[in-house]
Formats: sequence, C-alpha cells, structure tokens
Amino acid sequence: MDLRETADEIAFRLEARTWLEANVPSEPLPSFDTAEGFALHRQWEKKLYDGRWSAVSWPEQYGGRGADYIKWLIFEEEYYRAGAPGRVNQNGIFLLGPTIMEVGTDAQKEKFLPTMASSEIVWGQAWSEPNAGSDLAGIKSKALRDGDDWILNGQKIWASRAVWADWCFGIFRTDPEAERHRGLTFILCPLNLPGITVRPIAQLDGDTGFAEIFFDDVRVPVENTLGEVDKGWGVAMATAGFERGVSLRSPARFSEAVNRLVALWQRLGDKSDTALADAVTDVWMQAEGYRLHTYQTVTGMLEGRPIGAEASLNKIFWSEMDVRIHEIALQIIGPEAERMEGPLERWVDGFLFSLSGPIYAGTNEIQRNIIADRVLQLPKGM
Amino acid sequence: MKFSFTDDQRLFAEGLRELLANECPASVVREVWENGTGHSPELWSHLSGMGVLSMLAPESAGGMGGSFVDAILLFQELGRAAVPGPVLEHMAVAVPALASTRFGAPLIAGDSVATLWVDDSPYVAHAGVADVIVRKDHVLESFDATDAHGMDGGRRLFTVTGGDRTNADANVGGLDPFDAMALASAAYLIGLSERMIEIAAEYARVREQFGKPIGSFQAVKHLMSDALLKVEFAKAPTYRAAFSASTGADTSVRDISMAKALASEAAYRTSRSTMQVHGGIGYTWEADLQLWMKKAWALMRSYGDANFHRRRVSGFVLA
Repeated sequence: MDLRETADEIAFRLEARTWLEANVPSEPLPSFDTAEGFALHRQWEKKLYDGRWSAVSWPEQYGGRGADYIKWLIFEEEYYRAGAPGRVNQNGIFLLGPTIMEVGTDAQKEKFLPTMASSEIVWGQAWSEPNAGSDLAGIKSKALRDGDDWILNGQKIWASRAVWADWCFGIFRTDPEAERHRGLTFILCPLNLPGITVRPIAQLDGDTGFAEIFFDDVRVPVENTLGEVDKGWGVAMATAGFERGVSLRSPARFSEAVNRLVALWQRLGDKSDTALADAVTDVWMQAEGYRLHTYQTVTGMLEGRPIGAEASLNKIFWSEMDVRIHEIALQIIGPEAERMEGPLERWVDGFLFSLSGPIYAGTNEIQRNIIADRVLQLPKGM
Repeated sequence: MKFSFTDDQRLFAEGLRELLANECPASVVREVWENGTGHSPELWSHLSGMGVLSMLAPESAGGMGGSFVDAILLFQELGRAAVPGPVLEHMAVAVPALASTRFGAPLIAGDSVATLWVDDSPYVAHAGVADVIVRKDHVLESFDATDAHGMDGGRRLFTVTGGDRTNADANVGGLDPFDAMALASAAYLIGLSERMIEIAAEYARVREQFGKPIGSFQAVKHLMSDALLKVEFAKAPTYRAAFSASTGADTSVRDISMAKALASEAAYRTSRSTMQVHGGIGYTWEADLQLWMKKAWALMRSYGDANFHRRRVSGFVLA
C-alpha cells in the first residue's frame, strides 16, 4: 500500500492540469440537453479528442492514451477541478466503448471507437421500455432477421441523450419464443433511419435529456450486432457493470461538489448551527470515503480482482450522497433554493438532477436486491 | 498510488482468521463472559505464538517489526471473532510504546498483559486481568481494580485506585494512545460488523415464515444491504488512516477520526439491522449475536464516539 502518487502520476496530473487550464471554456456552456448546448458540447469533445484527453483510458490506436485506471481517476480529478463541461458522449465513451472493446469485433472497434472518442458520433442509450424498467428482462421490442438485416419494431423510453444523439445502443428480443433474459440481442442503430421517431421527454428540470424512441420496421445490418445473437443480456450486464461500478460517476465529481459545499457553508452557512456543520462534514467524509473506496477498487482491478456485484454498492452510495450534498446546499441557500434562475441556480439544478440518481441505471431498490442475492447470498425472492 | 495489501499482509490476516475460527468460536467468547474474567489466557498465548500481539514492536526488541498497515487487517480479524480481553490496548499501544522500556520484553512475549487508561475516562477496561495499566505519561502496577459492571463480558470495566507509578511516554510513533486506539477499534468494529452481517445472513437463509426463508423478503434484503453498504464504505477510510499513521502523515488525526466516526456508525447500524433480522431470538441472551453487538456498543463509544470524531474532522475540513 502506498497512497502517494508516483512521479509518473504527478507528471500526468500536471500535464492534464496545464492542458485543461489553457483550454476549458471560461464561461460554462449551456446545458447539453438543449440544441445549442449539445452542439457546443460536441465541439468541446472534439477539442478534448484533439488533445487526446477525451478517452484517456482507451488504447492509443482508438484515440486514447492507454492510461491505467489510477490515471483515469487523476484525470477526472483535474477535469472537475478545472470546472470543465459535462461529457455529452458519456454513454458512448464510458459505457458502450468499454463494452465494444470487450466483446466487439475488430471491424466494430475500427468503425465505432474513433468516431466515439471524437464525438463525431454521439451515443444514446435505448434499454428501458414502458413495461421494462426495473424489470429490464421484460423487453418486448423485437428484431427479426431478414437476409442481412435486422428489422426493428417496438418502443424504448428514458433513452438518455437520444434527442440529439446520432446513434443508439439498444437491446431487442430476437428469439420470440425465449423468455426473460434469454433471446435478447444487443444492437447498434443510427437514429436517422426511416421508421424511427424520437419523441423528447422533458425532465424534472424542463430540459429534454431523454426521449422515447419508436421503431417502425427499421432496417439495420446484422453486422451492427454487438456480441452474440440471443446473448445480449450478458453484453448489457457487462455495460451495466461499468455503469454502476467506477465509470459513470467518478469520485472527482463529488469531491468537487463537497468542496463547493464547504465553500458555500463558509460563505453563507449559519456558524451557530452545529447540526448543519455536522451535516456538511458528514457528506465531506462520504465523498472522501467514495474516493478512497474507488482507488481501492481500481487497484484491485489492476491487480486482477475485477469488480462484481459489489458495483451495486457504489451506485447506491454515490446516488444517495449526491442527493444529500444538494439537500444540505439548499438548506444553506434558503430562499434562493426556490429560484430556477439566479446566482445560486447551479445548486437548484444540481438538486433536481441528483434526484434522478437513485432511479436510473437500475433503481437503488434493485441494487439492494442484487447485493442481497449475489453478495450476501440470500435466497431469491419476489 | 497503490491501494491494496501485499500478499504477505493478506496471508497473515487469513492465518489469523483460521486460528480464531478454531480457538475463538462463539462458545469461547461466551465462556469468558460467563466465568467473569473477560479474558482467555489460552487464546492469549495462541495470539502471542502467532506474533499477533507483537506485530507493532520492533524486530530488534523481539517483535514483528510491523506498521499500522501490517496490523490493520489483524485488528479487523480480531473483531470478526469478537476476541475478548485487552488485545487491542496491548497490541496497538502498550507493545509499541513500551517496547524499549523494562516493561517491553514481557509485553512483547505476551507474558505480561497490559491495558490502557485514557484521560478523562472514569473507567479502565480489562483492568481486572491486566498486569500493567498504560497511561499517557506513566505506567501503573499493583493497582486496585473494582468491577464497574460493563455491558460487554469480553471487555469488563473497572474503576482503578492506587498503584505504583513509573514514568513512561505512551505515544506510538507520534500518535497519542487515544488515537492509536481509535484506529485499532475502527478496524475491530468493521470486523465485528462483518461477522454480525454473516450471522444474520446465515439466519435469514434458514429461518422460514410464510413458507419461505425470511431472506427472500425484500424488507429483509434491504436492511441487510444497507448495513453492508455502511461497513464496506468504512473500510477504505480505515485502511487509509492506517497508512497515514504508518507514514506519520500530517493528516493522521483527521484520517483516524474519519475512520472511527464511519466505523462506529456502521457498527451501530449493523447491530440494529442484524438484530431486527433475528426477530425475537435477537433479543435473547442465548443468541450469539449479543456477543458481537455488545462489543460494538462498547467500542463505538470508546476512544471517541462518532460525534466526537466527526467534530474533529470538522475542525480540519471546515476551518
């Protein structure tokens, strides 16, 4: 155990810091869930890519730096420290990308990874359906084989980034006889094809960060299948493992948020309110604990101990912490907490956004079931 | 940056787990409760023989020459087995602080048993079985100990009067003995919590109601998962605190306080959830769970409770 950074890691940190300080936009970009903001975020991603910072943990041949997970965490710390824009293509770069690297063909890697790293193609996620939410295996959208094509029919919902994204990655039922987790296939699909209708859904904050996608006899070539036909559940679970594990919410996000919270408390907090000071300290410890836990997880991964169902613990932890950070911030800012536009709007926006955390990427109740079943080995129920 | 234990550290901890599975099952813990000693000399000699008690003494003094990083998984394993007696006080404070004094050799060999009396506490745990009591700046021998009727039969409480006094500095590598104990008990509390979760999970797999194992009910699953969450997220901060203490980092006190606050809260939450999972049997003297719960309730308040340590972290973070 040595929790000090190596000379190489320090040099990497400084290189990232220097680049970010020179390149991060001085004014925050508009939300990427607006037309204007989406375009500006895509431009920012291209700039990151040109500096080879868009996917630091990817191999160099696909536009990355071949950085190990420790360096990825260091990059994330610098990224949030610099106040850099949100990652509009995170569903691609952090979820689909690693999955393609694991199960994709060489041709798929060549075709999809570089354009993903540069955000020439921005990816949306199309998994949930009106009747397949927590019960994701209840997917009914179909892909039927016709020659060298799949013909897609059905409806997806809560598809993140789908309003302005270029492609989506979805799960479709390819074996109509099979039930539940069997007979599903992971398919990559452009969103501009005939037969596709995207209906934006306004989120709690009013932005259209997700959408419904209707597939009506949509033809995609079978080479867009990721992994084996009828084995899509396993591919999806690999993606979900990345999502719940370390990639979706890097600790830097919360370290940065609690540092801002401490600064907010110092500026506006009632210093005679010891319960408030305790609450701020409590979430500071949570963010620090999450950071340490992640470094431990990542060291384990580097040493050949991959993350399993424990990933579900992370997802519960960060999502509940995020809500708590923002609850305390709103308590501190008092009357300003009612305003959607104003000097402290970021905390109000952040609060609304934080409320999605315990729900998406598998609700926290589903995560608790997974932990109970797979980590604690309790009998299956429901 | 490398946040993991070495193979040697892991293997030593596994070895201790095996030893304790054989030599310190719940029946042994219960026996020392019931015979009124709160200590098992036989178990003590096993721990001594394995080098556990002398882990933090320098090799030149006949110890194992280990650091807090080497010891932290051992504290955790001792907690898993709810090992009775002054093992933490002896191991984490008395042995390293007094190694080079005249008290050192018998302490390192395990022939003499030490406990710790922290400032401001009216009670001294384990004084009835201790040969020496370590205080911040002196050591007491030949004292009088009167039973104060502690809740945990494996950690009996006493008031202490009299005694022969020898001046000695009880700091451990720059750490106040209170902080060394806060660190050791954080790891011990994590071990206790891990075992409480195992005991409750074992019960939930076999106890049936409504024709099904109660572990199949979501209300039970979620209680257990939430307890595990708190325990798992107390571990990395505790291991980090051990690293800070081992390297004499400026942040040692803050890091130890963070660990003790999180571990204390995790242990309490775990005790409540695992007792609830047991239902009526959880409220009995007969259920082994109480041996772990009462140790948790004693240690979570000792060497600074969660509120004390959280406020100490506040002093560093909000200043």
